[in-house]
Amino acid sequence: MKKAFTKISAFILLGALLLSAVSGCSRKASTKTSEKVLVVGYDRDAELLDSIKTAWYSDALIYIHDRLVSRDYQFGYQPGLAERWDVSEDGLVWTFYLRKGVKFHDGSDFTAEDVKWTIDTIKDPETGSPFRADLDAIKEVEVVDQHTVKIILNYPFPNLLFNLSNTAAGIHPASAYEKYGDDYGKKVVIGTGPYKLEEWVPGDRTVLVKNEEYNWGPEWMSNRGPALIDKIILKVVPDESTRIMELETGGIHILRNVPETYVEKLEKNPDITIYKEPATKLGYLAYATDKEPFNDVRVRRAINHALNSEEIIQFVFRGIGEVAYGYLPPALKDEYLEESRELAYEYNPEKARQLLAEAGYPNGFKATLSADNSSKSSKLAEIIQRQLKEVGIETNIQLYDSASYTDMLKEGKQELFIREYSWPNADILDWFLLSERFPYPNHSRWRDPKTDELIMNAARRPTWAERAEGYKEVQRYLIEQAVWAPIYVPMQIIAARKEVKNFKYHPWMLQYNDGFDIEVK
Amino acid sequence: MLKYIVRRIALMIPVVIVMTLIVFSIFYFAPGDPVSRIAGPNVTPEVYESIRRKYGLDQPFIIQYLRFMKSVIEGDLGISILQERPVIEMIQERLPVTLEIGLLGFLITFLIAIPAGVIAAVKKNTLVDYLCMSGTLLGTAIPTFWLGMLLMYFFAYKLRWFPISGYGTLQHLVLPSLAIGLTNAAITARMVRSSMLEVLNQDYVRTARSKGLLEKVVIYRHALKNALIPVITLMGLRLGWIIGGSVALEIIFSIPGIGRLMVDSILARDYPVVQGSMIVLTSSIILANILADILYAIVDPRIRYG
Repeated sequence: MKKAFTKISAFILLGALLLSAVSGCSRKASTKTSEKVLVVGYDRDAELLDSIKTAWYSDALIYIHDRLVSRDYQFGYQPGLAERWDVSEDGLVWTFYLRKGVKFHDGSDFTAEDVKWTIDTIKDPETGSPFRADLDAIKEVEVVDQHTVKIILNYPFPNLLFNLSNTAAGIHPASAYEKYGDDYGKKVVIGTGPYKLEEWVPGDRTVLVKNEEYNWGPEWMSNRGPALIDKIILKVVPDESTRIMELETGGIHILRNVPETYVEKLEKNPDITIYKEPATKLGYLAYATDKEPFNDVRVRRAINHALNSEEIIQFVFRGIGEVAYGYLPPALKDEYLEESRELAYEYNPEKARQLLAEAGYPNGFKATLSADNSSKSSKLAEIIQRQLKEVGIETNIQLYDSASYTDMLKEGKQELFIREYSWPNADILDWFLLSERFPYPNHSRWRDPKTDELIMNAARRPTWAERAEGYKEVQRYLIEQAVWAPIYVPMQIIAARKEVKNFKYHPWMLQYNDGFDIEVK
Repeated sequence: MLKYIVRRIALMIPVVIVMTLIVFSIFYFAPGDPVSRIAGPNVTPEVYESIRRKYGLDQPFIIQYLRFMKSVIEGDLGISILQERPVIEMIQERLPVTLEIGLLGFLITFLIAIPAGVIAAVKKNTLVDYLCMSGTLLGTAIPTFWLGMLLMYFFAYKLRWFPISGYGTLQHLVLPSLAIGLTNAAITARMVRSSMLEVLNQDYVRTARSKGLLEKVVIYRHALKNALIPVITLMGLRLGWIIGGSVALEIIFSIPGIGRLMVDSILARDYPVVQGSMIVLTSSIILANILADILYAIVDPRIRYG
């Protein structure tokens, strides 16, 4: 018996050792001590490291690629891989003059051909790029010479600047797919950016290593040469409290999207600094505007009057966040309608009841209130339910996992529902409110010719300033129609440990290559 | 014996088929689909349909299922819709991670449960017994994931002896394996104790003692051998459970194992990956049970499989 006993334990022990040995081999030896490594925490991993094909953009793609246009700290559109550009009088032909001496990570030169290949590939329906529709305005890309490229549009579209500065518009070397085959976007990704992909372990981490040759950083950066930090590790930690513990113990240096509930605790920690700025996000209560009673503007206005945003922000976000009055986040300075606050519907339950009575619902009505099943949304649903009850609207809360939520909205079963969008551009209103987007993503089921006309008119004006004016008109009209009930603009909360030096807040993405440094223990 | 093993493995096939059918229909009728995730919200209906066609999602249930089974029989678990990679490759990446933690946890179970159970049985109704048994009672009452959180809080966060989360070195494995090992050890130790108590009252133990054998020899050589049979069954069942049940631990400790792969894929409706990992998990549970049966025969020569 003793023999058998030892046999069994030996077998198990051997198995365990063998496994750890096997997996140990494939891992890299621990990093050199003098190396500067920055670890950034994330709750979700990439699905594909290919900016053309994925719909979920890993931050790694921001550093691996450069884009024709970059965004500075004030969210201004600045030269990137394009040194400068000019637009024809009618706004239909954009000529981009490309930076010279730029090299891809595989050593090839960056030329106009690469720009053409990247845009053509995105626009090719065969590719199935989620970014394709965003480039609908582009008719064709014409290579003028090695360093000049012409983008010809179907209609004037000043928002091209935004689209070309998006993560999805990262420039790939021409014929990357033919050259790297199935490995592209998984084991290999080639860009011209300040960091190169070293390895991606799905579900665990993405490791980026500094591009030593990089010296084409945009003018607005204080460091235009190679980054100071040798390596960036994007570490996936799905559990929220684990992420916070990692930050506190130094396993993670920078954490974005810190939950409001942890802010107070982290602010007390001398090792950690919290940075807060209004995010380009908007949380709102929406309703199926084609169904009774929400097709009546008085009911929609009543719901707007019934919501006490201040209280909601206190209850759900511990007071961290701002009241939303309009349909765009105020951080979009150019496009945001300044007088949103004056035009919006203040909290006034008395007026809400009165409007409901006028609309024929003196005793209120019953409706379902749907939300996704995150803890934030269920808390929002709870307090919104209570506030609506004050004015006589009885709601029944229904929570969904995100895939089922999308499905339910597509099928059009929603009545009242909670949403939050995160998008740094006014074209979000096109997404959600154009008739052609019905029934999804136009989930508030808003089919209104006037809105269509206002949006199309704004989006296709020749210049950025005219476009911004156009979107202000759109917002004015949406507030008047009470298409949604805007509630809050959350804060973008970033926590950085004391080891991180020269931290600079950026509204879109932290630019780790711009003089960010890290202390080595 | 060999015939028996072959028969048992052959019996796996219908079980796996039924399982895939169940999982397949759950997902077919569940709301949501993977296309909206990969295509993004700004997708045109034509592109949406073309992606559905590409993955055969436009076909009726039975066609989709038969296609899937056909490729499984050919040894191909399909391509992940989300990651565009062969499912088999993804499982190969993730399964060893889960196995590593599971087996290490198993080893811990083994090392704690058997001595603890034996000592508690031999020193029945003494302080040692009470301590062991109240300890194991606590162990059975605590869910694995919660124990994992406690271990993380004290040993990684407060004392900083171990990294908090992640995967890569032996240190990373210690806490999750301990969480699995300790909770399993609790149940197993109780089993060892009761089984030992039964055996210790048997005649042959009295005979062994009266022969003048050393108490140590009596206990470890004569009694434990027989007491282990029910324990092995339990462990066979637990092995499968360890692999399937480490989902919560993998999330808390952010370990890229198969449990997390499965949860992520379920949420994203990445059907091929869910199916593939379910097949692997079901098979490993069945295999673990077969392994337990084989071990029976090794510990107990009276057991013969015909």
